Amino acid sequence: MNANLRQLGFFGVVVALYVFLLAPIAIVVIAAFNAGEYLRFPPEGLSLRWFGRFLGSEPFVRAFWFSLKLASMVTVLSTLLGGAAAFYVVRHAGRSRDLLQLFFVAPLQLPAILTGIALLIFFYSLGLGTRGMAGLLIGHTVVSIPYVFLMVGAVLLRFDRTLEEAARSLGASAWTSFRRVTLPLIRGGVISGALFAFITSFDQFPVSLLLVSVGNTTLPIQLFDYLRFSFDPTAAAASTVSVAMSVAVVWLIDRLVGLEQVTWGGPR
Amino acid sequence: MAHAAELGRRELRRPLWSVRPAVLLLLPAGLFLVVFFLVPYLNMVRMSFLTKAQGAAFTNVMTLENYLRVLGDAFYWRVIGRTFWLAGLTTVFTVLLGYPLAYAIARASGPRRPILLMLLLAPLLVGAVVRSYGWMILLGRVGLINQMLRALGWREAELMYNTLGVLIGLVHVYLPFMVLAVAGALEQIQADVELAARSLGASPWRTFWRVTWPLSLPGVFSGGILVFVLALSAYVIPILLGGNNVLVMPMLVVQMLLDAFNWPLGSAMAMVLFGLACAVLWAYVKVMNRALRWIPR
Repeated sequence: MNANLRQLGFFGVVVALYVFLLAPIAIVVIAAFNAGEYLRFPPEGLSLRWFGRFLGSEPFVRAFWFSLKLASMVTVLSTLLGGAAAFYVVRHAGRSRDLLQLFFVAPLQLPAILTGIALLIFFYSLGLGTRGMAGLLIGHTVVSIPYVFLMVGAVLLRFDRTLEEAARSLGASAWTSFRRVTLPLIRGGVISGALFAFITSFDQFPVSLLLVSVGNTTLPIQLFDYLRFSFDPTAAAASTVSVAMSVAVVWLIDRLVGLEQVTWGGPR
Repeated sequence: MAHAAELGRRELRRPLWSVRPAVLLLLPAGLFLVVFFLVPYLNMVRMSFLTKAQGAAFTNVMTLENYLRVLGDAFYWRVIGRTFWLAGLTTVFTVLLGYPLAYAIARASGPRRPILLMLLLAPLLVGAVVRSYGWMILLGRVGLINQMLRALGWREAELMYNTLGVLIGLVHVYLPFMVLAVAGALEQIQADVELAARSLGASPWRTFWRVTWPLSLPGVFSGGILVFVLALSAYVIPILLGGNNVLVMPMLVVQMLLDAFNWPLGSAMAMVLFGLACAVLWAYVKVMNRALRWIPR
């Protein structure tokens, strides 16, 4: 076989695979802007009517705001908890380091649906049930901590501690040196970890499935319930909104830290 | 030397309590995960041995009944078999489709590389519900693919609400994980090794099968473990793309918990799935370690 022909063939295969990966997502976005009842080729013209339906649908709008509120709270909580833990494990843990690392990454290693099941039974065993937002906040935070832990841990591992020592020896207090030296230098890891936590919560399905309750429904769950009975393009508009959130987050990471800065630490 | 001694002295001079504040960094997250992660898992294990009671969710009577019921029922074994079969097929197809992608990414240079990587990671940021919905639009009875088939004068195909639809969805969702694992392994291979094989007269095909493929196997295996476990616990995709025609274990477990409120039995079902998964993975790792023994690490 000719070498050029072979390269062309390989190129074709790679393009086809990317089409396979991206087509379903592109299709959802196209369907949201399509005027017709269902997607047809050729499309029946551009329209925002499905976004209008989405905005007019009380369950969808309520689920959207609920998800946004929940994801923001999860972001703050998991960034504080996971970030502090990464600090301890990278800088202070002695022999227990490997074990602690394993422990903080564990929620990522176990199937999220199992974690959801365990939490559901746990909350009911305590007699608390899953009313309100607390159960979701806890569940989402559990599965988000590993991302913050890994990303903050990765920047801390590369951190040059002589910079802090310099600040301290020049008379800065521990807090000042943390705020003025350490924090700006690890900013990249903290921001990417936080935004990953946000997406993990905003797109979370398995944990939410088990912990949602009446009046406390997240957007993915609302979308899922909707899709079980109908798949008119209102769902496409809702999906497009959630895709747009992910794009916004990636854009934010790129603007604030630069995408090439996003690295994983810990055991891989 | 003097520096080390200086450090040692400083350690000695430091009063004991000054070591403590560092632990305060660990405690919040540590306690949080112990209370809301470790304890719930242990509680689930305990629950799987308890008894369902009339009028209450469970009573504290220890029993093996739940396990016997799951393991003694041919229906559950059929569902377990289907779950593992689907996860296995998903793993095989992600290797077949993921390898060329990983190869393209690992060998790309210059500005092409970050773009290829971005396009691979982008789908990971979109939830499984949205991606399944995309496939529903494509594969449905009046979906785009069937419209195309009809336009060409062919018969419409059953692409969804069956095993095929679920498999397409699973492969699509878990493909990026496999690609990342394989690309990582391919990048470890030094270009000289392949060049050496070529300069000794091996054809590109032979170089690939005798040099590149064996050296990339660790990536294929670790990607395989990840995809297999993820596919075993998939819930959204089998429901949305399989309708109620493709029953898998996670669906039964969730049904048992949320609809039947039978926590002991539901927990036991989850534990059986988890235990079998561990057993399969253990055997897999054993076999693979033997197969990979010759690779210098």
